Amino acid sequence: MASVSELYDVTWEDMRDKLRKWREENYRNSEQIVDVGEELINEHASKLGDDVWIIYEQVMIAALDCSRDDLAWSCLQELKRQFPDSHRVKRLAGMRLEALERYDDANKLYDSILQDDPTNTAARKRKISILRAQGKSSEAIRELNEYLEQFVGDQEAWHELSELYINEHDYAKAAFCLEELMMTNPHNHLYCEQYAEVKYTQGGLENMELSRKYFAQALKLNNRNMRALFGLYMSASHIAGSPKVSAKVKKDNVKYAAWAASQINRAYQLAGRGKKENKCSVKAVEEMLESMQITMS
Amino acid sequence: MAGPELLLDSSIRLWVVLPIVFITFFVGVLRHYVTQLLQSDKKVDLEQVSDSQVLIRSRVLRENGKYIPKQSFAMRKHYFNDAETGFFKKVKRKVVPKNPMTDTSMLTDMMKGNLTNVLPMIVIGGWINWAFSGFVTTKVPFPLTLRFKPMLQRGIELLSLDASWVSSASWYFLNVFGLRSMYSLILGQDNAADQSRIMQDQMTGAAMAMPPDPNKAFKSEWEALEIVEHKWALENVEDELMSQDLNFRGLFSQDPKKMF
Repeated sequence: MASVSELYDVTWEDMRDKLRKWREENYRNSEQIVDVGEELINEHASKLGDDVWIIYEQVMIAALDCSRDDLAWSCLQELKRQFPDSHRVKRLAGMRLEALERYDDANKLYDSILQDDPTNTAARKRKISILRAQGKSSEAIRELNEYLEQFVGDQEAWHELSELYINEHDYAKAAFCLEELMMTNPHNHLYCEQYAEVKYTQGGLENMELSRKYFAQALKLNNRNMRALFGLYMSASHIAGSPKVSAKVKKDNVKYAAWAASQINRAYQLAGRGKKENKCSVKAVEEMLESMQITMS
Repeated sequence: MAGPELLLDSSIRLWVVLPIVFITFFVGVLRHYVTQLLQSDKKVDLEQVSDSQVLIRSRVLRENGKYIPKQSFAMRKHYFNDAETGFFKKVKRKVVPKNPMTDTSMLTDMMKGNLTNVLPMIVIGGWINWAFSGFVTTKVPFPLTLRFKPMLQRGIELLSLDASWVSSASWYFLNVFGLRSMYSLILGQDNAADQSRIMQDQMTGAAMAMPPDPNKAFKSEWEALEIVEHKWALENVEDELMSQDLNFRGLFSQDPKKMF
C-alpha cells in the first residue's frame, strides 16, 4: 500500500498543515484524516513537537468514525499517558465507549466529569448524543432544552435541536431554533435556506410568503445556492396558484416564479456549455419546470 | 538652559545604559514565566456563565433582530422584557460583594500578583539606585522643567544641571515601560511581563468574567431592549435580488476535489 506522501508527493509538513486546515474548518472527511494522520503519527511523530497531541485527538475521532478501533485505542493510550487527569481525554475515552455501544459505561464516565466540573459542556453534549444514538429522541429533546436553558449561546446545540424537532415533525419549534441561528449568523445562507424549507413544509399562506422571502435572502447571500433558487420558484408558484390571494399578489408571485425559472434555465445552459448533451438537459429542465408549476385555477 | 553640551564618558554607555536594558528585559521575561507557573486555575461559576450568555443573546436580538420575522422578534422581546414574566424583570441574582480581604482565592491571587510584579521592581530599582548612583546616565531628547529634577536626578546634587539629564534610576523606569512592545514581540500578546497593563487593570477594578452586579447588567439590557424597534431587513429582498441576473461564477468547476 503506497503511503499518502508517496501517492501525492507531499512532505510531512504539507500533511501536518493539511490536518490543521481540516481541523480549523471542521471537516468530517474521516477516512482521509485517518490515512494522512496515521502516517504522520507513525513516521514523523518526533518532528511534530507539541502538535502531536492535538493530531492524536483529531485522528482518534476520525478513527472512531471509520471503525478503526486499533488506531483509536493507541491514540487514546498516548493521550492518557501524557495527560493523565484531563477531562478532555476522559471525554475521548467516553466517545470510544460510545463507539463500542457501551452506553452505560460511557454515561458513568461523563457523569464523573460533570461531578468534577459542572460547567463542562462537552460531557453534557455527549450524554445527549448517547440518547440520540439510542433512539430516545423525546428524552434527547428534553435534555437538550435543559442544556440550552443554561447555555443559550451554544449554536451547535441549537442546530442539533432543530434537527431533532424536524425529525419529530414539530416544525414550529424547529423554526424557532433556526431563528436563533439566523440571528447569530446573519450572513450564513444555509440557515436562511433551512428556515425557508421549514416554513414551506409548514404550509399556509403566511408561511409560504415567509419561505419565499427567506429563499430570496439565501440567494441574495449566495447567488449559487441552487436549492434556494428552486425553493423560490416553488414557493412563488405555490402562492400564485392559491385561490385565496388578491390579484396583485398573484401577479407579483407569477413574476417572481418566472424570474426564478429563467435563472434556472440560464444556470443549466451555462453548466452544459460545450457538452453534447446540452440541448437535451436544457429541454428536460424546461419540461420539469412546466410540470412543477402548480396549476392556476 | 542651553548651556554647553555635556560629554559623557563612553564607558557609561557600555557599562550602565546597556546593562540596565538587559537587566530589565531579562527580569521581565523571568517574571512572565514565574507568573505562568504560579497561576492557579480559574473556577467558573455555572450561573455566571449562563448569565453572560443570556446577555449576549439579548444583545444579538437587539442587533440582528431585523433578520427574523416580526412575530418571532416580538415573542422574544416579550420573553425578555414583559412587565411580570420577563426574564430581566423576574430574575434577581443574589449579589455577594466579593470582599478582597476575606475572599481567599482573590487574596492569594493578589499576593501572587504583588510578589511577582511589585517586589522585583522595588528590589531592582533600589539596587540600581545604589549601584549606579552619583552620575548622569543619559539625556532625554526633550526639555523638561525644573520640577522634574528631584524625581529624575536622584543622587546628583547639582543645582545648575539641566533637568533633561537623568540618572540611572529614571533610565530603569523608562525601560520598564518602553520594553513593553519588545515583550509582546517575543512572548506573544497578553504576557505577564506587561506591568503597565497590570497597573491599568488594578485601577479599573475587579472587572472579571461577569460584572459584579448582574442585576445592574440586566437592568441596562432591559432598557436597551425596550427601545428597540423591529425593522424587517427582508421587506424588499425579492426586488433587490431580481434587479440583476444571478452570478453563477464558480458553480461549474470541472475538477473533482482532490486531497492535496
